[in-house]
Parts: sequence; C-alpha cells; structure tokens
Amino acid sequence: MVALTLRLCALVASLAAMASISALAQVDRTAAETRIKAAFLYKFSAFVEWPGRAFAGPESPFTIGVIGADELAADLEQIVKGRTVLERAVVVRRMRRGESVEGIQMLFIGQAEGARLTEILASAKGQSVLTVTESEDALSHGSMINFVSVDDKVRFDVALPQAERGALRISARLLAVARKVLTSS
Amino acid sequence: MGGIVKVVRKEERINAARVCIATIAALAAFAANAQTGKPSDLAELSLEELADLEITSVSRRAERLSDAPASVFVITGDDIRRSGATSLPEALRLAPNLEVARVDSRQYAISARGFNNTIANKLLVLIDGRTVYTPLFSGVFWDAQDTLLEDVDRIEVMSGPGATLWGANAVNGVINVITRGAAETQGTLLVAGAGNLERGAAARQGGKLGADGAFRVYGKISDRSHTSLADGTSAQDSWNSGQAGFRADWGTGAGAFTLQGDAYRGTIDQAAPGDGRISGGNVLARWARQLSGGDRVQVQAYFDNSEREIPGTFAERLNIFDVEFQHALRVGQQHSVIWGGGHRQADDHVSNTAALAFVPADRTLTWTNLFVQDEVALRGDQLRLTLGTKAESNPYTGTEFLPSARIAWKPDASRLVWSALSRAVRAPARLDRELFVPGQPPFFLAGGPDFQSEIAKVLELGYRAQPSRRASYSVTVFHSVYDHLRSLEPGPAGALVIGNKMEGKATGIEAWGSLQAAEKWRLSAGLLVLDQNLHLKPDSGDTTGVAAAGNDPKHQWSLRSSLDLPGRQECDVMVRYVGPLPSPSVPGYTALDARYAWHFERGLELALIAQDLFDRSHAEFAAPPAPPSEIERGLFLKLRWSL
Repeated sequence: MVALTLRLCALVASLAAMASISALAQVDRTAAETRIKAAFLYKFSAFVEWPGRAFAGPESPFTIGVIGADELAADLEQIVKGRTVLERAVVVRRMRRGESVEGIQMLFIGQAEGARLTEILASAKGQSVLTVTESEDALSHGSMINFVSVDDKVRFDVALPQAERGALRISARLLAVARKVLTSS
Repeated sequence: MGGIVKVVRKEERINAARVCIATIAALAAFAANAQTGKPSDLAELSLEELADLEITSVSRRAERLSDAPASVFVITGDDIRRSGATSLPEALRLAPNLEVARVDSRQYAISARGFNNTIANKLLVLIDGRTVYTPLFSGVFWDAQDTLLEDVDRIEVMSGPGATLWGANAVNGVINVITRGAAETQGTLLVAGAGNLERGAAARQGGKLGADGAFRVYGKISDRSHTSLADGTSAQDSWNSGQAGFRADWGTGAGAFTLQGDAYRGTIDQAAPGDGRISGGNVLARWARQLSGGDRVQVQAYFDNSEREIPGTFAERLNIFDVEFQHALRVGQQHSVIWGGGHRQADDHVSNTAALAFVPADRTLTWTNLFVQDEVALRGDQLRLTLGTKAESNPYTGTEFLPSARIAWKPDASRLVWSALSRAVRAPARLDRELFVPGQPPFFLAGGPDFQSEIAKVLELGYRAQPSRRASYSVTVFHSVYDHLRSLEPGPAGALVIGNKMEGKATGIEAWGSLQAAEKWRLSAGLLVLDQNLHLKPDSGDTTGVAAAGNDPKHQWSLRSSLDLPGRQECDVMVRYVGPLPSPSVPGYTALDARYAWHFERGLELALIAQDLFDRSHAEFAAPPAPPSEIERGLFLKLRWSL
C-alpha cells in the first residue's frame, strides 16, 4: 500500500509540471461558451409561451435582441439562418443602449453591459420579453433566465415570478433542465 | 473502444477514471479534425444535451451520442426521476439493452446479452469510476450499491465487450453510474416516500468551498418489506439500510480535483439462523488535468471496504485499493491515442460456515493492467478506425490480452454505421477456484484448481440515425462465440469440480428509439432479441446441463411515454414485457408502471408511482433452492423538496 501511494505521488508530481500549458485552452473555451449560450437562446424559444400581444401581427418575426455581446449575436445569426420559431421568421437585432424593447420577444444582455444591467432590465420589466443574462445576481435585478458556468458546463437559473409578470409561461421541461428555479422573489 | 469515448466526451466532464480515458480519446480525436463545429450544429441538440455539454469538449467540436461506435444507451437523471425508481437496479430497467430481474426484496439478477443470474459475472459496474464487483464471484451484490438517485447525472449502459478500456469482466457490458458534480447539487434537497413495498427518506445539502470548490453531503435511509412466495407466505427477506456520503470538487475544466466517499449499513431479515448484516465504506480521489491541444491526464485512487455477514452461509470482509492513470494525446494529424494503467489489490477474508467454504479463507489478490488505444481518422471524420488492447494480469491465469478493433463510418451528420470485433475474457473469481460446498469434506462441489478464463469473441454491427430533430434510433446486431464457459465436471469422491467445458454462441438484436411526438410528449421504445445456443463439450461430464450458465428471455421489449401536462404536471407510463425464462421456468410477464407528478411552488414535487399496476404479483426470476419470490404491485407516494 505504501509503495502504491508513493507511486501515485510521483505521478501527480510529474503531471503537475504540465499544468501551466493548459492556460492556452482558455481562449477556445470562451468561444465555446458563447456558442453554447447562443444555442440555448434559440432552444429557449421552443419552451416558452408568449401571449399574443407580444407580437405586433401574425406576420411579425420572432425577434431576439442582443446587447453587449457581439460574438454571441454573430453565433446566433448563424443558428437562426433558415430556421423559424413559432412558425415565424427569426431576426437577431443587435441593440444599442437606450433602444426600446418594443417588438422583441427575447433579450440577451451580455456581461459587457456591467452595471447598466439593472437599467436595461428595468426597461423590459413587466413586458412580454424573455430576459436572459449571464451576470451574477442578475435574477435579483429582474432577469428571468441567468446563465452560470458550472463544472465546465453552461447551466442556467430561472426566476418564475419575473416571467409571470411578463405573462410568459415557461414549460416544465425547460425548468427540469434549469439548475435552480426561483419561485418567489 | 472509441464508442463510449465519444458518448462521454459529448456528455459531460470526466467523472470516472475509465470514462475519463474515453473522453480523452474523444477529445484528441476532435483535435485531429481541423474544422471546429458550427454554432448551428449545437442548435440540433436538445436542452438536456446542451446543459450536459462540456465546454472544453465543444471548444474542439460538439459531439453527439450518435458518434459512439458501440451499443450505448444513456439513462439521464431526468429519466430516472420520471421513472419513479427508488434504487439503482430499478433505474436500470430503463436501459433496453439490459436484462433486469428482481429476485426478491433485495437481490437482483442483472446482465447484458445473456448469462443472467444472481451470480452473473460478465457485466462490469462502476459508480463514479469505482468498480463495484466482488472478486468472490466477479459479480455485484446489488443490495450494497446505492447512491442518492436524485444526484445521479446519468447512467451509461454499454452492452457488448468493453474489455480494451475496462478490463476483464467487461465481457458483455459496462454500466457507468455517474453522479453530478458538487457544484450542480447546491442547496438543500429533501426526499421522502412511502408505499406498500418500501419506505424511505433522504436529505442532501450542498455548498461552496472557496472560490473554485463545492461540496455536498447526503444521507438516506430505507426500509423494504418482505416479498411473498407463490403460496402467499412471507419470504422473510425484508431489510433496511442507511447510507451517507459526500462529494467535493475543486477546479475548472482545465484542471479538477474530486474527493468523494460513502458509508452504508444494512440489516437483512432471515428466517434462520439469524439476521444478516452488510456494511461498508469507500473514499475516492481523482485528479484530472486538461493539457493543450486536447491532451488530458487523469489519476484516480480509491479505497473500498465492504463487509457482509449472512449467518449460516458465509461472512466476508473485503478491502480493495485501486489506483489508475490515463493519458490521452494526439499524435500527428490522424492519431488520437489513449494509454494508461492501473493496479488493484483486494484483501479478502471469508469466515467459512458449515454450508460453504472458500479455501484458503484469506487471500490477497492483485491485478495490474496496461492499455493503449489509437483512434485513426482515415478520411477526415467520415471514417474512423479504433484499435486497442489491454494486457491485464490476474492472480489465477497470469496475463490476459483484451484486444478490439472498431470502425465507424459517418456518411453525414445524422447517420453512423459501425462495426467492432473484440476479444474479452472473464478471469476466474474466487468462486471458480476456491469454493467448496459444504464447508467440510466430503464435498458436493469443489472449486476447479485448473479453472481457466472464460473467453468471448464478439462481432458487432450497428446503425444509428437521427432522421429528424424529433426522432432517433439505434440498432445493433451481435454475434458472440464463447469458449471455456463454466461447467460442473465429475471429480474425485463424487464431488462436482468447477471446469471449463461449456461453449456456445449467442446472436441477438438490441434496438431502441425515441420520438418527440409533440412538444410535450416523448415516446421511447426498446427491443431485445437473444438467441443463445450453449452446449457442453463432448468430453464434459456435466449432468446439470447448461442451465447454470444463466436464465435469459428470448425477447424483451418496452414502451415509454413521457407527457408534460398543463399546470406543471407530468404523466409517465412504461409498459415492459419480459419473455419466459427457460430453466428454471419462469413465465413471461408484461408490467405497466406509471407515475403522475405535480410540481408546486417553492420546488416542491409530489409524485404517485405505481409499479406493475395491472398485476397483483409476478415472479421475475428463480434462484433455486430458494422458491421464487413474487414481486407485488407497488404503490409509492413520493415528496421531493428542492430548497
């Protein structure tokens, strides 16, 4: 047993020397994370019910607003190309600060927005806009879905009261995949 | 064995040592492919699959289950929740490529591709990388294998040989139970349930450990009622058990350290001469490091103690120490190599009884292995050839070689054709060489001093397709040729001596598919066909026939429906048919299991679960000389509160 333990220690020591190389993988990692989040945004649309009034008319496209996340917007544009949501065309709108959320059904606010997150979320409050974020504590500022990196995976938490205020219905299947579901604020 | 590799790669971070290897191999394979995945490929994955993707694996390419050149079925944590299963063996009923038969209140016969028995020995079972079979008979004491089912991320069930990566014992399949990382099981979870067959309660608490760490601790207790015999009398096999455990994870995708452990204790009712007892504990440490270019290393070590005392039969105290190392790397543009090795030592102490004896009573057994596997990209990603072998030494037959070759052709993103040729061995267990019945001479049955490894040569052909976003299916055809199977040969003084004079063939089909019939309605189906033809060699004197090798149905099928209803309610129904078992004869049965669940505010879930709803009781397996137990209709009410 002692000999085995020693052998194990020797292995660990020699492997630890290689550890610094792994920093190189980080760039790739961020791109991958963005890509997974973009895919999630598209998937979310299938598990949320919007009230009729969320759309201007039967021909209006399904519009996903993206703010403070250019790379994600680019990935999302690739994803939605040729796809439909709720039998509507899908449009990705890269938004500027202060722009109205009128006519959009889903809004992603990137981490780059930092402290302005609260302000943007406030502008969407009570509207039938599914707000998705990637910042710590974003749910307590009014976001409906917040991405978190857990164990090398992209997971998300859901705040139901906010969604209900926006008259959005989130399906049980989406909730089952969520890491946490907040049911009261 | 590139197969499970891919599955793992896609599915999740490395959890089990061997699984890790696979992942690594997969990652390396990706790196060989210069083109990284398009974001639009990811959109084809389900929500569950996306949530399971390893970021570090996607950074090379999104991988799918459909890329595994092996017969692999994955039971997800959500499948388990929706099945209402309260134990690992019950959850395994979800895998179409497994035979699961409940013998009595606590014993199960579980196997893949035949040879099912309470001492089935051709299936390797791992829980978070820890091999749980006993060297006594190379099988699993299912009553001692438990974890908090709510924390299980998935169970990967691979039927067919996995020996090249997993070693001797992975003759007809590998079951990998993989629990979630501690970071994914934060907060408090309370579970309680009661029914006519069992009662149980469990609690789990998770929390943070500094900036990069997380932990969870759990405890659970359960109490199972006795089963009844056909005449209505009690089989006197009720039992209760308690288990506690923890898991702590540190680090990120680039490097991770895991420490986890469990301890359990159980009391088994027995008519005479007294109650049985089981207990045990284990602690496991795992360190994994992601290197540049998809290379990966992992080291894992664990200690596992188990004790079992069945008065009148035997008592055992077993201590196992196991250490493993793996390294996955890319060589050139085309080769993804994984290599590694391991050492396992078991100190086994048996207290013999008048009924049976292991001679010598105390043994120290060691196994050492080295393996290497190379996945070669022949035409980009379209054609992949995986060659590998493991050399494993065991205390009885020296070094065994376990080679395999797999080829996978992927004409497009939604179809995969694969084939594999493998040699696997089931190395002798203590039972084969050292068992004597009764405990004193004259013996009725004696271990075979010359018992050799059982050998399987297996050819598999598989096809997997995803014709649309809503549908997928998998079909595998296998043909196995077995030699040196265990037989009972006449020996000196009228004793039967364990020998190797049975051989035979098995041909079969494993198929399953799923269909998202509507947004909230998922249908799944599974089918198993097995044609086994075993016989004794001409020079065998075995008069017991081939029955001892196992008792398997020729057919088995299942249909499952998962429906989400308005008001956050769920309705799940599963119909499963298991064909008749030939010897000893057990009639076939069809069982309908159902679950209806309500989700309330504050993470509260209430579920009503019925097992075998339309049948008062039926037998699933017979293990003579004990008369078969009848498995009764089970009703269970379960409350789950996630805080």
